Amino acid sequence: MIFGASYEPLFHIGPVPVYDHVVAQWLVMIILAVVCILATRNMQVVPRGLQNFFEWVVEWCYNFFGGALGNEHAAKRYTPLLATFFLFILTSNYFGLIPGAGTIHGFVPPTSDWNITATLATIVFFAVIIVGFREQGSHYLAHFVSPYWPFLPMNILEQFARPLSLTLRLFGNIFGHEMIVAFLVLMAPFLVPMPLQALGVLTGLIQALVFTILATSYLADVVGEGH
Amino acid sequence: MEGALAIGAGLAVAVGALGGGIGQGIAGGKCFESIARQPEIAVQVRTLLFITLAFIETLTIYGLLIAFMLVGKIG
Repeated sequence: MIFGASYEPLFHIGPVPVYDHVVAQWLVMIILAVVCILATRNMQVVPRGLQNFFEWVVEWCYNFFGGALGNEHAAKRYTPLLATFFLFILTSNYFGLIPGAGTIHGFVPPTSDWNITATLATIVFFAVIIVGFREQGSHYLAHFVSPYWPFLPMNILEQFARPLSLTLRLFGNIFGHEMIVAFLVLMAPFLVPMPLQALGVLTGLIQALVFTILATSYLADVVGEGH
Repeated sequence: MEGALAIGAGLAVAVGALGGGIGQGIAGGKCFESIARQPEIAVQVRTLLFITLAFIETLTIYGLLIAFMLVGKIG
């Protein structure tokens, strides 16, 4: 049950089984893409409605994540990646709030499966290394022996501990929340799970924020002082 | 064996929640103290508090995950 191995796949593509969470992830991607296309289809100089909202979102992301990255150059380059993480995880977490989620196939929060959070954390892992080499060249390798060379094994260990904690934090929170709601629904299906669902709105936002802030601080470590 | 698994699952959450609860209490109390001293920084402090609480909560969540795995083994 816990690591997603024992439930049945929804269908197969060739030899590859496709599980609920993957379908939910596709749905999240489609929703985000369609909403963004709708928002930018007919852009005005004076924004209204959806376009106005998305300009606010993008500006907020730029100020918040870009500001944490430290310099203008890095903010322009890497805010799109971080904002994508934030929007994707937020939408994924809120997917569990749709009525019927958890009982209808394909309607589960994708982030309640550790495969998907591990994928996101792996992207962060490689992004940090690639950004490090891109911004600092071979000087990035000096990070691994700072402050002194005996710290080399610890610095390498830290690199691998990061994706692990990112994975388990997001997965544990969302999955734990889903399980607790499921238990409550089993015991008292009427009105009782509502406060916890309301808490889920807060948890979903905070976990999306925490994941992205951590990714931001890892990137801020390696972008250097700017040019 | 099943009894031991059940006790272990309970302890995983209980001990994990104990430490996390104390830590969150300290963090929350300090936050209120600082807001009472300097109400104009309330918004920044609250944002930092939520992030800090999420970090502390993570450790409890690890315990919860272990508990779920143990309960799954009882079957």
